[in-house]
Amino acid sequence: MNMDDDELALSPEETLRLIEQQETATVNRIVPDPVPHYLAWGVAWFVGFGMFFLHHGLSGTPYVEIPIGVVLALLFGLMAMAMLVSAMTTWQLRSPVRGASQERGTMYGMAWGFGFFAMWVIAVRFGPLLPAPERSLLWSSLSMLVVALLYMAGGIILSLRPMFVLGAGLAVLNAVGAAAGPGWHALLMSVGAGGGSIVTALVLRRKRRRLRR
Amino acid sequence: MTPDLDPVIHAQARLRVVATLNTLAQGDQITFPGLKDLLGMTAGNLSVHLSKLEEAGYVEIVKTHKGRTPVTYVALTRRGRLAFEEYTAAIRELLDTARAPASGDT
Repeated sequence: MNMDDDELALSPEETLRLIEQQETATVNRIVPDPVPHYLAWGVAWFVGFGMFFLHHGLSGTPYVEIPIGVVLALLFGLMAMAMLVSAMTTWQLRSPVRGASQERGTMYGMAWGFGFFAMWVIAVRFGPLLPAPERSLLWSSLSMLVVALLYMAGGIILSLRPMFVLGAGLAVLNAVGAAAGPGWHALLMSVGAGGGSIVTALVLRRKRRRLRR
Repeated sequence: MTPDLDPVIHAQARLRVVATLNTLAQGDQITFPGLKDLLGMTAGNLSVHLSKLEEAGYVEIVKTHKGRTPVTYVALTRRGRLAFEEYTAAIRELLDTARAPASGDT
């Protein structure tokens, strides 16, 4: 039995096409689709911070009387859902691949855990010293800072430019919003971070489609 | 001038194996069944091609255990990655020389 019998000579074009097809098929199978993650977070931020914006108002008078408990419940509910979507789409328990990238992924996942733990301790320590609107700004600006930094790091690790750009944009908007006050911060996060995440989802989807072609 | 094509990689089935393994990040390994599914080959066929690639030093095969079940992992060696790079460069060169006389552009 000669295993090389199926090797009718391919032209250079056909050979290159074969390599490209094989690479695309492999990437589609082993790299998780990033789109649901960005869409879920985009919607969570857009709606969640949007409610915050309506609650705070730009000048400190609420546009809509929504109790803070409802606003927080909605934001945390949406974030929990987004977290679930992220875990389900990016955690590859049944991946046939092991090694360096798996290790990088684990360390990156742990960085999120440590980052949010440290942020939580700081906010718990200093939050009670602040008036209510400033306290909620402390929590949201600190947590968006952690997100911005880790998105930039993720973009570097995975060499995904759109992810880095989103992280850098978040860092700037977050800083501007924190300086301007709770209402502005909520508005910038709703439109900028939420919208930015949705745009990133669309950019990544186009990139993936192009790869598939 | 036509560059020599690496006969180990030039066989179509092995080219697909190497192209797949080259897509993995450096330092990553894939299970034998995972690779088999990606390629749509039979286990016997894939084994034969893998041992030829292993003989050439292009592929590293690691046999280990997950609990009590044996698991086989496959990865491209540094030499294999280099050989694939050289192979694709040679193919591109062939393409360029074939196109050059017809028109100036690429």
